[in-house]
Amino acid sequence: MWGFVKNAFIPRRDHTDCSGCSLCLPVCPVWRQTRDISLTPHGRAKAMQQGEAVSVVAVESCTLCGACDPVCPEQIDLSGMTLKLRRQTEHPHAPALQARMDEKAAHPLTSQHAAAKWLPDQALSEHPELLARITDLLGARVTEDDGADIALALEAGVIIPAHRMQRFLAPLKGVKRIIVADGLLLKHLKKLLPAMYFVSLGEALSNHADVSHNLRATDLYVIEPRAYHSDYQRLVKHYDRLRAKHGCAFNLDLQRIAIPITSRNLPQRMGLMAHDDDAQARWALHGRSISRIVVESSEDGMALEKISDVPVVHLAELADHGVHVQA
Amino acid sequence: MIHQESFLEFLHDMIPETSDRTSIEPGTVGPCHVGSDALIGIKRQQTNPTRWIGDSWQAFADVLRENGIELRESIAARGTFATDAGGTAYGMPHGVVIARSAAQVSALLKAAQQYRVPVTVRGGGLITEGESVAFGGVLLDMTGMSRVLHIDTDALTVRTEGGIFWHSLAEELRRANMDYLSAPLNMTSSVGGTLGVGGIDVNSPRLGCSADQALALQVVTPTGDIVECSDTLNAELFQRVILGYGQFGVITEATLKIRPYTPLRMHYFYYDSLRSAIEDLQMLDKNDASDYSGILTIMDCAVNLLVAFDSDEREAAFKANWQARLRGHGEFGFALCIAGRYALRPWKLGEAWFLFRRKRELFPELQRAEYMRDGKMVDRTVVFSRAVWKFWGGKQMVIPDLATSSEKFVEAVERGNKVCRKYFPHYTLYLVGIKLRPEHKAHYEMSCIPPDAEDWAYGCEFEPMIGGHVYSRDHLQSFKNAIYDIGVDLGGSYYRFGGMMKGYIRRVFGDEVVDRHLAMKRRADPAMILNRDVIF
Ligand SMILES: Cc1cc2nc3c(=O)[nH]c(=O)nc-3n(C[C@H](O)[C@H](O)[C@H](O)COP(=O)(O)OP(=O)(O)OC[C@H]3O[C@@H](n4cnc5c(N)ncnc54)[C@H](O)[C@@H]3O)c2cc1C
Ligand code: SF4
Ligand code: SF4
Repeated sequence: MWGFVKNAFIPRRDHTDCSGCSLCLPVCPVWRQTRDISLTPHGRAKAMQQGEAVSVVAVESCTLCGACDPVCPEQIDLSGMTLKLRRQTEHPHAPALQARMDEKAAHPLTSQHAAAKWLPDQALSEHPELLARITDLLGARVTEDDGADIALALEAGVIIPAHRMQRFLAPLKGVKRIIVADGLLLKHLKKLLPAMYFVSLGEALSNHADVSHNLRATDLYVIEPRAYHSDYQRLVKHYDRLRAKHGCAFNLDLQRIAIPITSRNLPQRMGLMAHDDDAQARWALHGRSISRIVVESSEDGMALEKISDVPVVHLAELADHGVHVQA
Repeated sequence: MIHQESFLEFLHDMIPETSDRTSIEPGTVGPCHVGSDALIGIKRQQTNPTRWIGDSWQAFADVLRENGIELRESIAARGTFATDAGGTAYGMPHGVVIARSAAQVSALLKAAQQYRVPVTVRGGGLITEGESVAFGGVLLDMTGMSRVLHIDTDALTVRTEGGIFWHSLAEELRRANMDYLSAPLNMTSSVGGTLGVGGIDVNSPRLGCSADQALALQVVTPTGDIVECSDTLNAELFQRVILGYGQFGVITEATLKIRPYTPLRMHYFYYDSLRSAIEDLQMLDKNDASDYSGILTIMDCAVNLLVAFDSDEREAAFKANWQARLRGHGEFGFALCIAGRYALRPWKLGEAWFLFRRKRELFPELQRAEYMRDGKMVDRTVVFSRAVWKFWGGKQMVIPDLATSSEKFVEAVERGNKVCRKYFPHYTLYLVGIKLRPEHKAHYEMSCIPPDAEDWAYGCEFEPMIGGHVYSRDHLQSFKNAIYDIGVDLGGSYYRFGGMMKGYIRRVFGDEVVDRHLAMKRRADPAMILNRDVIF
């Protein structure tokens, strides 16, 4: 009750509150690549403070990694701001995404009961062996509906039809523990179903004793940024405990923000533009002496394999003492 | 009925002579825009620069584009830079250029000289008196030049581009287990912007200001020459660019001293007297008793002397030789003092509640587990910077300051404190010493370093906590004037003596020095286009 009353009085912060401190710049992968302030939350907020039209504010460039959210001293939900702006912008591929969601919604589901379920992301679905290994480790059933179309629609700011959402959420009702690989989907599921227990794939696996006891002091552990930043205050402590116990390094900067490896803007996510992860991946590795890279996200793993001369393993594979990720 | 044309003519005549219809002779202060009866009894020293009228803009823009320089003229691009961290000076450039290379900056400045277009250089934009706000002309965003070029761990130097944020520099240095020497506790200020202004850190009492760490610079002069300079090469240019508020060139690269990285152990001592805390701070500095020192206050009620060490040996020596001499209390002892003080003054319970709340919110932020290892703080700039923005930051920040010699410092702070009390219910003072380098005397002329300071200068920022309150510009300006007047009175200097406080420059430094610098500026920048209205 008191919590509710207290929260009810917290004013919602938005672009009008941006002080221009620039703390969101150094953590932003888009700024690192372009040094163009107009492609950052600072630039977007200031443009809108000057009355610039939403259609002109650069929202497609954002990768929704969420790195800017925890650093903003004005506590503006910056990735939320980007999504809100995307929702207000006409998206050329909205009809195609809508059609994909309608098609998915029309498919009947077989009912599957399980105490724990997990939702792999697109990249993991393409690695059946790894998928099976994770399923085994987590003791959770893979959901029949992975919500990949919903994740993409969320990212693009396309409205999700109610019947599609119902079809996606129905099998999750009553499940005690739901593990989600896609950080953006995880963030939204937590908001949609606050009473249920969701956990990121990275956190779930790193809490597994068979996995964590194989972490080494010479490992670079690559955190998946979206899930991490969406629950930053709690997870920064979780990973700090891992560091203290196992001595491994993380893809964290001095602010303890995760350096994204595969940062994809909207056209790249939609497959409309080629992506190039090399610069970010090189920056994450720059100056580190490590003997192995451990990834939470298989997409990150593939990008790192391209440029690294040390082995790259998925976190789940640590339970088998580190088998190579097959790209 | 008034005829429309004659009404417009009437309005035209009403525009004061300081508007953009006339240009002010560079180096002089134009008459004030505000009616003489607007601030009866208050000396007004503020100068709002006139907006450049933009006659030659189109021809200039065409030349830039012909040279392949991307010029942005959208509202979004220009509006981003409409103000600085102070949020009291507002101005719109005609266009924005993101700096990409010294050659590009050179081409820009050559065209700007030819078409007499003002160029305002901006790093982090964290100065607060409009110095990096463009009142027309081009805004040159230096953050486009943010690469670290070379780290030499043997010579302990780094070569970096000038627009880099100190934080981004620290990020790269840390991968080599190195650190910069001193930088503002504000991680998004840039190297170039700071070398031109000062840069004060809690290790400045030992290592000097950031500007003292620069060994060499690559500068693009106002006429577009790309020049390497140092104390031995093109020394005159080097001396004017360092601490020169961007008047004599754009810093495109800098070679800085660095050092091996060390985490630090902090100690806090609490005082209820500004004077005792300052005397103890100066005693520690004079005896080289700590590696970091400074004072941060909650009004004048809780005065916190912060002392920190890079090594266990230095900490042990402090404990053995100096700690017992400090008159400050530990946290528990001070809490008892405070309780006693407010028990006798129940009418001041509001103040006590504020102190309690402030402490409860701020202190955990300074000791967050993820930034501590074995009781040592691992990333002081991150910790302080985040705290500064979280607890003091906002869309409007008014931070007048004073810098004086050691001897005059207590008086300056006590007088400034009275001014704060008069104008605001809540405020913070931040006090730090700056070790001076006798061989850098030439760098210090007409800068934030007070002319009479020997060995150390001391600086105090007076920062009202504005929070959600709305104060009129006149209230804020009167406050700043009252602080700056103390500096004039004591023969001190200021960190932010440019921009909207331009009216103080002749009063502080005297005509002889200002005219000499003005003559140099005119030689270096014939069209007076670079960072106009900051000083000249
Ligand atoms: C919340 C807060 C806390 C602060 N804390 C501190 C502190 O602890 N210590 C401290 O010293 N200061 C502090 N400052 C002041 C501020 O950080 C410094 O003045 C800072 O060094 C300015 O750097 P900048 O890159 O933001 O410069 P800007 O504001 O962008 O520019 C400053 C001046 O330098 C010129 N300039 C910028 N870049 C260049 C370049 N490359 N070449 C030539 N001229 C250039 C500009 O035209 C302008 O005149 C604080 C400010 C704020 C708002
Ligand atoms: S979410 Fe990531 S990419 Fe988008 S603005 Fe924030 S930091 Fe940049
Ligand atoms: S961190 Fe927040 S307040 Fe600071 S510039 Fe970015 S959006 Fe604005």
